[in-house]
Parts: sequence; C-alpha cells; structure tokens
Amino acid sequence: MYALNRRHAMLSGAALALAAGSRDAFAQSETLTIYNGQHRQMTDAIVAAFTNATGIKVVIRQGESSQLANQLIEEGANSPADLFYSEQAPPIAAIDEKGLLAPASAEALSAIPANLASVNKTWLAIAQRCRVVAYNKAMVKDAELPKSILECATPAWKDRVGYVIRDGFQEQIMAIVKLKGRDAALAWLKGLKANGRLYNGNGAAMMAVENGEIATALINNYYWYGVAKERGEDKMKSALHYVAKGDPGALVNLSPAGVLKTAKNAATAQKFLTFMVSEEGQKAAVATYAEYPVRPGIVSPFKLKPLDEIGAIVTQSDIGGAQLAYDLEREAGIL
Amino acid sequence: MPFFYALMRASEAGWQGVLSELMRPMTRELLANTLILATSVTIASGVMAIAAAWCTERCDLPARGFLRVIASLPLSLPAFVSSYAWASLGPWFQGMAGAILILSLASMPLIYLPMAAALRGMDPAFEEVARGLGGGRWRILLRIVLPQAAPALGGGALLVSSHMLAEFGALSFLSVQTFTTAIFQQYDLQFDNASAALLSSVLMALCLPLAFGELYLRKGRRRARVARGNARQPAPAKLSTLQKIIALAGFTLFAALSVGVPFVTMLYWLIQGTSIGQGVERLWPALMGSLAYSLPGGLLITLLALPLVLASMRASGLFVVLAERLPYLVHGLPGLVIALALIYVAIRHAPMLYQTPALVFAAYVMLFLPLAQSAIRASAELIPPELEDVARSLGKGPITAFLRVTLPALASGLGASLAMVVLQLMRELTATLLLAPSGVTTLATEFWSYTNDRAYAAAAPFAALLVLASGLPVYIFTVRSLPKS
Repeated sequence: MYALNRRHAMLSGAALALAAGSRDAFAQSETLTIYNGQHRQMTDAIVAAFTNATGIKVVIRQGESSQLANQLIEEGANSPADLFYSEQAPPIAAIDEKGLLAPASAEALSAIPANLASVNKTWLAIAQRCRVVAYNKAMVKDAELPKSILECATPAWKDRVGYVIRDGFQEQIMAIVKLKGRDAALAWLKGLKANGRLYNGNGAAMMAVENGEIATALINNYYWYGVAKERGEDKMKSALHYVAKGDPGALVNLSPAGVLKTAKNAATAQKFLTFMVSEEGQKAAVATYAEYPVRPGIVSPFKLKPLDEIGAIVTQSDIGGAQLAYDLEREAGIL
Repeated sequence: MPFFYALMRASEAGWQGVLSELMRPMTRELLANTLILATSVTIASGVMAIAAAWCTERCDLPARGFLRVIASLPLSLPAFVSSYAWASLGPWFQGMAGAILILSLASMPLIYLPMAAALRGMDPAFEEVARGLGGGRWRILLRIVLPQAAPALGGGALLVSSHMLAEFGALSFLSVQTFTTAIFQQYDLQFDNASAALLSSVLMALCLPLAFGELYLRKGRRRARVARGNARQPAPAKLSTLQKIIALAGFTLFAALSVGVPFVTMLYWLIQGTSIGQGVERLWPALMGSLAYSLPGGLLITLLALPLVLASMRASGLFVVLAERLPYLVHGLPGLVIALALIYVAIRHAPMLYQTPALVFAAYVMLFLPLAQSAIRASAELIPPELEDVARSLGKGPITAFLRVTLPALASGLGASLAMVVLQLMRELTATLLLAPSGVTTLATEFWSYTNDRAYAAAAPFAALLVLASGLPVYIFTVRSLPKS
C-alpha cells in the first residue's frame, strides 16, 4: 500500500510540475538512476561533480557489477536504470549481447581513444586498471619475481601465490587463451588450484601479502595504492611487480559505462556519460582511486607506472565476453 | 515461488546438463563442505549451549544472571562482522576449522536461549523421582532432562543448521566454499544462471530432512499442562570449587572468543588507518534505513507467523503441516535466490511493486518467518487448548476468547519473536541490496560495501552502530524470555 501511495505522490508531483508549466521545475525534479558496480567512492566523486555542474540529481544503486548485470537482464524492458557503470568489461558485454544498450553519444566517444570503446560503440571505458603481481618484499627476492604470469601456477610457487577468481581474473584467463591457447589457460587454472591459495577478494589478497601471510598475489594495481594511502607509502611491506612485456600477465582492463536502451532519461544519461569522460569528470574519477584515466592529458595524483611501459598487447576487443573463461574455470574445478 | 523459480531455471539446463552438473567433482566437494559445516556447527554450538544452560539454570554458580547475559552476548554481533574481525587477524582462522569455531560461537545463543527457557519451565518432580530411584546425574540428564527439552533443542538446532546452509557473508570472509557461496559465485561470473539455480535446488533438498526431522522430535507429545503443579525451582546442583572454576573459566573463554576478540579488532581498525571519517554523513541515513525496514518487517512477520503456529497446533492434516513447514524449507535458501525469484516475478507480473519496500518485505517474510514461528511456538505449546474451551463454555465468542485468553498468554512468545526477527532483519544483506528502492542503504549494506573495498576504518563505525542498534532487541530477547526467578 505504501508503494501505491508513493507512486501516487510521485505522479501527482510530476503532474504539478507539468501544470506549473515551467520547464525548469521539471528539469529540477529529474533524477538519473545509475546501476553502479564500480568502486563506490569513485562513482560518488563523479556524481558529486556532475550534480554540482548541472543541478541534476543522481540516484545510485550500488552492487556487484555482475549481480547488477544479472538484474538488468531480468528487468529487461521494465528496468528503471538509465546507465550502467561496471567495474569490469564482461558484465557490460553480457548485457550488450542481450541488446540492452543504446549507442553512446558521438561526443563521449570522441573524448577517448577508439580502442577504449566497444566495437559496436555501445559502451566506453571510464577508467583503466592493470593486472599486477603484488609481493611481500621480505618474502620474495627481486631475482625470484616471475617473468611470466604462467610461472605463478607451477609447483615452484606452491603455497606462495594468492589468487582471486573475480574482478579481472576472467580477463586474465582470456588473455592467456588469446596468446598461449586454450590448453595453456586450462593448465594454468589447474596449476593455480593445486598450488595457489584462493582469496575471496582482491583487497583480502592484497592485505594477506602486506601482512606476510602469503608471498605474492595476482591482483589489480590500485589495491596496493589503497592500502598505501591508509598506511603510508614508506611503511609498505609489499610492492608491485609488472610481468614482462608481451606476457598475458601484462594486461590492462577497463571499467566501462553505457546507457540503457530503455532509459527513461536517455538524453540526461548521455549527458552524464559524456561528463564521465570530460576533463572534470576524469579528474574526479582518478582523484579517489589509483585507476588510470581514459582521457588523454589527465594525470592521476597517484604515482602510477606509465601505461606505455606496461606493454600490454591484448586489448579488450581481443578478449570479448567471458563465457569461455567461465567454462575453463569450471573445467579446471575452480568453480 | 522461489522453489518454482529455482526448479524452472534449473530445468533450462536440460536433463543432460542437470546430470553432468550434479556429477561434477566440484559439486561433491561443495556437498561435503556444506554438510561438514552444518553438522559440526550445529553439534558444537548445541553442546556448548547445553553445558551453558545447565550451568546457568541448574548449578549453584555465582552471578548466574550475569552468566546468562554472557551466554546470549554473541547475538548482538552479526556473524559476518565477527568473521571479518577474525579473518583480518590472519589466515589461521580462515578455512573450515576456523569457520566451525567462529560460527559455533556465534550460533550458540540460538540454541542456548530456548534450552535455558526449557530448563526453567520443567517440573523438577520427574528428576526428583528419578533420583529417588537411584539415577545418577548423567543418567538423569540423558534420560529425563534432554528428552523433555527435545523440542527446544530441536528448534534451535534446526535454526542453526538451516542458517549454516544459507550463510554467505561470514563464509566469504573465512574463505570456505559451500553451496551458498558457490551460488553467489555463479551469479557473479555468469549470466544465465541454470547451474546456480540447480545448486539452489540441491540446497532445498538438503533442508527437507532437517525441517521434517525437527517435526518428528515434537510429534505426539503434549507439553501443556492444565495443572502446572507447584511452580518452583529445582534445588541447584552443588558443584565443587574446582568444577566452579572450570565452569567460570569456560564462560570467560567463551566471552573472550565470541565478543572480546571481534570488539578489540574493531577498535583497532577504528583507531588505525586513514579511511576513518569517510562516509560519516552516511551513518544517519543508514541507521534510518535499517530501522525503517527492520521494525515494520519484524511486526509483519510476527503477525503472519501467529496464525500459522496456532493452526498447526489446533488443526491437523497434510495442508497444515505443509503450510507450517514450507517456510523452513525456504529458510535454507540464500537471500540471493529469493531476491532473484521476486525480481523475476515482480518485473513480469507486478511492475508497480518493483523496487518498492513492499517487495523487500515479501522477501523478509520468506526468509525469516520460521524464526517467528519457533519463538511463538515455544510459548504457544505451554497454553492448554482447554483454557480457550473453558472461555467458550463461559459464553465468550471465539474472537473474545482468543483475545482475552490465548493472546495474553502468548505475549512473551510474541515479544521474543519480534525482537528476534528485528535483530535478523538488521543484519540482512542480499535481499535488501537487490530489492530495496535505489539509493536506500542500511547499516549492514554500508558495512558490506566498505569492507569489500578494504576501507576497514570507514567500515568500523557502521559495524559499531549495527551492534548498538542490535543491543535493544537482544536485551529484550534475553531479559524478557528468561524471566527472573
């Protein structure tokens, strides 16, 4: 009953705004609904800058990217969402495959390099992160550090490597498939299951390395900076290792966003998408999290290793969806 | 409804798919883990609960009122909060052994409270007769006391074991894989969820023997007595000084492990780290969100449970048994499955309800009805139906008879149910996250999203406030349900 009342209130509110005949009043009451799987603080910062600049209110639905993608698929045409900001590419690729995304505005697309958007131009990256090997400086000597990500799954690293099967892991599998083949990827997963230790999140694995519970962990770069911000960079017992150029372990992943085809506020959603890759939006995005900007000319306040030195040779369009990664994980018994 | 949703989704995989999914080594591994965890935690917390209840109700230990509070204290700390605290101490507590320890400590009050209440309500005459016939203390415990306490013990054990089947937050901090965590992972990594739905179906199958096994414990017994006899306390068992020291040491250890360690860890994180102060402006809306959902939710669930319990006690037949047992089956399902089923149905058939509080409450009812049923049943079983008959024979109508006779006698059960459900709703994560209107937050969801980001210090105030807000229901629950002697 409450729901009905609320609905009535909203309808009569909208009617009043219309009756007042003022376009401004109507624009003021417009709220944009974002399904956000990206780290909360980053999206909050972008939204605050957007609301500040335009006066448009934004409601954030916070969750795990893939759960939100599942929800969007269930919701279909009835979805109340205007825009989806995903932490990783596979969830947004999945809803794109179901035909749920509208084409991104030309203005937004022109702000970033073409290879940071999907092939059919429905979604585009807002931030980038890279895969790294975090290691405890007291437990691993520099000479021991792996040259290739494939080494980490060998018995030589028995009980010395932590891994996380979400948030960047599937893209990692796909990169191995792309460069070394399906069998190599399957063997790598089986090796990790046999020799590695599973953590439930990148953050937990990062803390385990920092606290000396485990020698290394395969994670995303910005988790180290998060802990360094909390503890002080000079006090860090761990450091980041970037595997050699040309290896599937040298991988840059994307956090993309896209406007829903069924968005009630399509124009405003496109406006927000464009804002996310504007100079202002990008500055807000990279101020909170040590992810890389996508707009050329923006500099992160964190001391990041320059992307061109990382030497990734696999791109998001090489990776595509993650169905094969999922199948391999199941075959290896990790899932 | 979640039942059909899971079966329907699972059937999309086809028979071949279902078979190969069930025969996977991973499924066997999950089955083993789930069963080991549920059995060990139920047994361990059951043994602790019996020992603690015996100590606080039947022994001449000093400060028994205080010990009762200690035994119920873990209720104020959600299992995922204490698991997060333990897990942040190091890898030693992660894995199956750690999970059994931590979750047994956390679940102990769920068996202790009904057990202690049962011990208090028991007529000591049976034990005295047994003693007069030469029965030893252990023999009396096993042959006389425990059978009388079987419904209390069984109800508590059912709650604990079905909780373990559905537990997600705590286990994901402790890195233990069960059906529920695997279901979350499948939903997390794949987008057509036939196999996750299949795992949910297996999970429901696991709840089946539990729900009906508990029923068997109560079958054919009458516990209400028209003449209550001389209500009196049995003479407490005399303990030697050494026994007293051992018992008190046990309570101290229990308190230190169940609440001491998590509290100290949380304090540490509160002081340590620079993410402190982040999100302080969210504390108030999160607290309001928690209250706005848990209080009406608790009321609604208690009101719905009342007729179910009364019907199952006063009427018989297959339909009543099913209606009363069904909630227990659903209780073993993770909130995720229920939430997705509701999303599926609401989007297609009732879009105006989608992302409104109504749908959240519907999920709450499905998830927590059994808690209310158990609490109400405990006091309902003590009311002899003859009382109502007497009222009717004195010329009162059925409604008046119910309102004037039965309802007042149920008050303590209703209070316990309300407190218990509100407490659980405060901690609910998944259903709230998935179903609530966009932008709504609760203390539990905020805590969860901050710990996901490892912003420990930022998460700590939400945990602290959650514990404080849980304090009142816990207080009501322990003090009201255990009347002072």
